[in-house]
Amino acid sequence: MMGRTIFIDPGRCIGCQACVSACRECDSHRGKSMIHLDYTDTGRSVASLPTVCMHCEDPVAPCAEVCPADAILVTADGVVQQADTSRCIGCANCVNACPFGVPKIDLQAKLQMKCNLCYDRTAYGLAPMCATVCPTGALFYGTLEELQAERPGVQVADSFAFGDVVVSTGVAMVVPADKVRWPVPGGLPVVEVNGVDVR
Amino acid sequence: MSEPTEVLEPDLAPQQPPGPPAKRSVTARATLAGAAVSLLLIVAIVLGSRLLRDFDSALLPYAVATVFLAFGVAYRYTVWVSAPGARRLFRRGIGSLFSAANFRKAPTALPRMAATYLGLQKFLGARSHARWAAHQLIFWGCLLAAAITFPLTWGWFTFTSSTGSGPGYEMRIWGYKVLGFDSLDLAGWLMFHGLDIAAVLVIPGASYFLWRRMKDRGAITGQRFAYDLLPLICLIVISVTGLLLTFSSIFLHGGGYEFLAILHMVSVVLTLIYLPFGKFFHIVQRPAAVGMQLFKYTARQDEQVFACKRCGEPVDTGPYVENLRGTMRDLKLGFDSFVEYCPRCKRVLRGNAYLTQVKKGFR
Repeated sequence: MMGRTIFIDPGRCIGCQACVSACRECDSHRGKSMIHLDYTDTGRSVASLPTVCMHCEDPVAPCAEVCPADAILVTADGVVQQADTSRCIGCANCVNACPFGVPKIDLQAKLQMKCNLCYDRTAYGLAPMCATVCPTGALFYGTLEELQAERPGVQVADSFAFGDVVVSTGVAMVVPADKVRWPVPGGLPVVEVNGVDVR
Repeated sequence: MSEPTEVLEPDLAPQQPPGPPAKRSVTARATLAGAAVSLLLIVAIVLGSRLLRDFDSALLPYAVATVFLAFGVAYRYTVWVSAPGARRLFRRGIGSLFSAANFRKAPTALPRMAATYLGLQKFLGARSHARWAAHQLIFWGCLLAAAITFPLTWGWFTFTSSTGSGPGYEMRIWGYKVLGFDSLDLAGWLMFHGLDIAAVLVIPGASYFLWRRMKDRGAITGQRFAYDLLPLICLIVISVTGLLLTFSSIFLHGGGYEFLAILHMVSVVLTLIYLPFGKFFHIVQRPAAVGMQLFKYTARQDEQVFACKRCGEPVDTGPYVENLRGTMRDLKLGFDSFVEYCPRCKRVLRGNAYLTQVKKGFR
């Protein structure tokens, strides 16, 4: 886990899209938002889930591992960078291999783009755009100690279960205290398809 | 920070990352490939220069650099296509390239892709028109320079004059006369100033990219001197010193020519040796992507589209999805079945799992 990172608390997200707008202002991908804001149960719930790149640590960046062009660099501080423009061939391996559904692809430009933790800002100690503008603190940037000083008793998890596989990440999610001992379920195995229980 | 992996049940234990069992064999294979290609080039130089009779010894450092270049490219290429992701896509790409069935179905697909993707580089236009224009200048300039320089340094091309100093010249390839020309007419001028024309193309292109690397905050983010700036500086130094050689011979009566020639040679030699290991490697890497495009294109022609199992939106082509799952299994990424879902459904499934199993108050 990185020292300073993003902590996501979906329970606080009100789906206001401020993060989506702010992300477009990031200098490293100007005009294009890399954060995803999904309404998980449209029509029945206002619940929304912001998704930034989780900066997988173990296994290290599956997106980079499956890249056939060695285009995705993981910097020494654990940040999984977006694809190198001179190498990316737009094959979409990273888009489809990422278990969190993070990378985007521009098929015309043959280029992958993804959240790079606003590297132009975080490299200089500034918070990423999304965490800077989030009005409810659903996206918090800082150390765990800073988070816990602001929200006493809060617990976070930085591992996610996809079936039998556990992926440890650089970005963490807020979880209830009684759930902190287990990886956060990542949605695999799939238990429902189109509202039908397929277990 | 909690460390949940310490209290995992055995079946939830993290997968061991893929070990490096084949690393030594990959290195050995790459070394062998590099040595074989270098040796082939040396043989081709000796034979092509008619047993070194046409070989210009003044160009020896350039020729030696191209042998190192051949070793480096073959070595790096072998290492690159040995990695699971590249290996699988490379094989499928080669299979698509040489498939008679594909050729019958879409005979124009390959030349069209090669022209638009490798030649015109239309995908760069979709990123930025200015970058496309600058890259086209560099691309055609370098291609022209390589087409002239490499055969000259290998002794494959010769320009001879029966009168000693022209203006009538004969161009010979491997000793065979190809054409005769007058160095004073337009065709002759173009022939003798091909490298100057290449330099005039490369300088504005490389300068634009260098300016962008200084000013554009997107380009500056995470840039590295050796990877991003050095190649541009190399191109500019080569081009400027090359032009200065012409300037020296025309306007200075050869003043400073020897120094400039050494400076030019050193910059070219260092660039050629650096080429396989830095940003320039994309020059040899990029053509393989045409195979990947063809692999996807032909599957789409057969309507082999794989739809997301949850929402029905197309994920990619069926053979591609199977290929990616194979890559993930090679890499011991045990969640390859998740490839059958589109990125949005993956996020929604994770959100629903969080909603129902982690924090019910989320609703």
